[in-house]
Amino acid sequence: MQHKTGDEKIIATACSSHCGGKCLLRVHVRDGVIVRIETDGGTESQLRACLRCRAYRQRLYDPDRLKFPMRRVGERGEGKFERVSWDEAMDTVAKEFIRIRDTYEPSATFFLGGGGDNMQLHRARLIEGLFAKAGGFTAWWGVHSFEGGLYADMATYGTTNSGSGYDDLLSSHLIIMWGWNPAVTIHECNTNWHLVRAKESGARIVSIDPRHTDSTATFASQWIPIIPGTDTAMLLAMAHVIIKEDLHDQGFLDKYTVGFAQFKDYVLGIEDSLPKTPAWAESITGVSAAVIESLAREYATTKPAALVAGIGPGRAAYGEQYHRAAQTLAAMTGNVGVHGGWPSRSSVPPNYGGYEFKLGNPPQRPDNPVEHGAPSRKYSLLTSVGSGSSARIHCAELADAILKGRKGGYPTDIRMLFVMHTNFANQFPNINKVVEALTSKNLEFIVVAEQVMTSTAKFADILLPVNTFMERNDITLGGATPHYGCVNKIIEPLYESKSPLEICRELANRLGFPNHIDKTDEEWVRELVKGSDIPDYDSFKESGVYRIKLPEPKVAFKAQIDDPEKNPFPTPSGKIEIYSQKLADMNNPEIPPIAKYIPAWENRDDSLAEKYPLQLITTHFKRRTHSQFEKVPWLRELQNQAMLINPIDARPRGITSGNKVRVFNDRGETVISAEVTERIMPGVVDIPQGAWYSPDDQKVDRGGCANLLTRDKPSPGGAFCYNTGLVQVQKV
Amino acid sequence: MQLGFYFDQSRCIGCYTCVVACKDWHDVPAGPASWRRVVTIEKGKYPKIFVAFLSLSCMHCAEPVCIPACPMDAISKREEDGIVVVDAEICLGNEDCGAFCRDSCPYDAPQFDAEDGAKMQMCNLCIDRWLDGKKPICVEACPTRALDAGPLDELREKYGNTKKIEGFNFIEDNKPSILFKAREPELL
Repeated sequence: MQHKTGDEKIIATACSSHCGGKCLLRVHVRDGVIVRIETDGGTESQLRACLRCRAYRQRLYDPDRLKFPMRRVGERGEGKFERVSWDEAMDTVAKEFIRIRDTYEPSATFFLGGGGDNMQLHRARLIEGLFAKAGGFTAWWGVHSFEGGLYADMATYGTTNSGSGYDDLLSSHLIIMWGWNPAVTIHECNTNWHLVRAKESGARIVSIDPRHTDSTATFASQWIPIIPGTDTAMLLAMAHVIIKEDLHDQGFLDKYTVGFAQFKDYVLGIEDSLPKTPAWAESITGVSAAVIESLAREYATTKPAALVAGIGPGRAAYGEQYHRAAQTLAAMTGNVGVHGGWPSRSSVPPNYGGYEFKLGNPPQRPDNPVEHGAPSRKYSLLTSVGSGSSARIHCAELADAILKGRKGGYPTDIRMLFVMHTNFANQFPNINKVVEALTSKNLEFIVVAEQVMTSTAKFADILLPVNTFMERNDITLGGATPHYGCVNKIIEPLYESKSPLEICRELANRLGFPNHIDKTDEEWVRELVKGSDIPDYDSFKESGVYRIKLPEPKVAFKAQIDDPEKNPFPTPSGKIEIYSQKLADMNNPEIPPIAKYIPAWENRDDSLAEKYPLQLITTHFKRRTHSQFEKVPWLRELQNQAMLINPIDARPRGITSGNKVRVFNDRGETVISAEVTERIMPGVVDIPQGAWYSPDDQKVDRGGCANLLTRDKPSPGGAFCYNTGLVQVQKV
Repeated sequence: MQLGFYFDQSRCIGCYTCVVACKDWHDVPAGPASWRRVVTIEKGKYPKIFVAFLSLSCMHCAEPVCIPACPMDAISKREEDGIVVVDAEICLGNEDCGAFCRDSCPYDAPQFDAEDGAKMQMCNLCIDRWLDGKKPICVEACPTRALDAGPLDELREKYGNTKKIEGFNFIEDNKPSILFKAREPELL
């Protein structure tokens, strides 16, 4: 054996990758080198890590890590750089920020900070705070993953804090996994463990999904394939059955909700002469009327039942309506605020539900002067602080905004782009447009802070090497079954890489704010812990975790249901708003006051389908977290990046598994291996998102990157449309 | 005493965490050698599909056929716990020998790296971890607690004596030291 445990020091730490797991790691170190990684071995429920963190050693010691600050010497996107010192790099960044602010205006700098590092200290708010002090910047709005869900939460419940603990599913007698595939997406490290136990304690589990997912395989006793983008129609038809058969919980609706009457009129066709019957839905969704009727009855009569609306179907045109419809059904069946019910989408703790964590003060982030006095966007529901400002740009439209600026109706002309914790030229929709934006003369300066040479990094004018969570101190907030995770610095930063906090300090010093970051990361973690529930910093640091002991699983809106007089919902009416007056006042038929089925663009009935007959969905992949972990050898060998296609669609195209295929539409083209499988419904192809964009000289992507094909127009309520789009597939 | 594995197919989500944890713990590089493997079993036609997973390593058979297959007697079975081990110092390597052990094993347990002359390697049931009072790394890694390991008679007492599950052929002549829980083919 190469390493003997006795010779090694074991340090506990908390994972803070973008997946949301926040799992506990026990990292073995010998002579300052990480030699092995174990996970939680303590008492149940252990916070067991997934395959990605088990392979983190290879990500940390990846020979292709960015080692030094660099300056571009080739063309943007070419990836040619020369090494510079940190002083030179940061002097350049500061000088360019000041030049652009003073030559144009503060809003000419766009700060694109993503969720790539899911921790409390080393995150986007550091630079945002600094830029706000230094005159301001343009910020984004629109959460890629579930803006549609947030919109629906705000409309229906008046808060985005709609998450219950997944351990509460143990009380459910029926669990409907609607487009929800936790075997891959996880979200919280014990989600699958709770589902195993729920199944073993007798819950019936149904999976509704265009794919027979690994979650379907393991948990579900029934798979209902559904045509992408039509989920709302099926939900409305279920409502139709429940209303017609008088199975709804009228007492609950009377006491806790407003607007059921209007919804009922719409569902029964009184409003528009179109009853939303199962037969109507069958023709849209591909799900037989009998199956819809049966599931509707089962959901209405099984108490309690959890309809967990996964966030994938919401990443679609009119994805907001899907979430609103799922919430309406939960309210109709009295499954809100009770154990074993489920009020909304799949829970994405901690910021959007679950335990309300307390923390000490993080580094300051004053208001952004660029947003002072800017009116709210007309159709905003304020899904996060400041998100409604008309000075902001929706993330999906960033490339378009760079290219068109004010002339295109955007709030500013962007001249400088600062990218951190995100992979713009891979994970945003319509990559060819992103590349056009990144190479346009409009952008005078691009700075990218990254760990590896991503496709975005190749476009940087100045490229800053960032360290990993193994090389810094931080704190994470984990799970709707809550815990604080202590991110312990295990080793010194490799090469010349720096933490986001250090990068911000370097920049702050140069912009005249030497006190912006006046503590080390460990001192900041102490500050954060001071204001938290954690009783003792030292034992927290030692164990890597502090678990909140709740007397029972967290149930969203339990207070509102238990005592509605004392705890009204934070909506204008104080109730669950099946009908939202606020939305009605916006008077926009594309964001109606009740959940409505609005046919998506690029659906099967679109005339474009003659040219591009297959619907594309872009799903998650086990061995990646979005585009992270893509190059890790231990993970890479487990799964081939491949497009899933049903034999019915593969056969006439002469495609067999392993064939290279072109997948294309008017936006772009990617070349990828095909995997012919019965596990996807005919008419739909799936490209797992996150593979690295690798263009050839014809602008054809050879890396199997899904976003060459996705459209950059957001849904009217702000949802990203990664799962709405038509393509054609051809054997190479 | 015979140590062995237990695998609950009804719980396995096919996530590969066991595979990667094993490679990390035992320093097995990326490549063809993998002491533990996850197999996906797919049956049926759309939309009536059955899918299950199988996570397998060497199962330390009571009657290991790899031992007599080895021309160098490099493979042996430990008396104290029944773990089948290979002595890499004695193993001739895949080039010189032709990997008779691999050909003999119905479960593909003996593994070889890609390079010429690679020596046989396989699951050793984490002998080093038992000494520390810990279960094998794959068992402690599994997010759905689908794996267990221990004395085979204790496992039998705890989990029953199921030997047949989807995708696995229990060969009585070899007597692999493994017990199962099957996943019901609910969708078929």
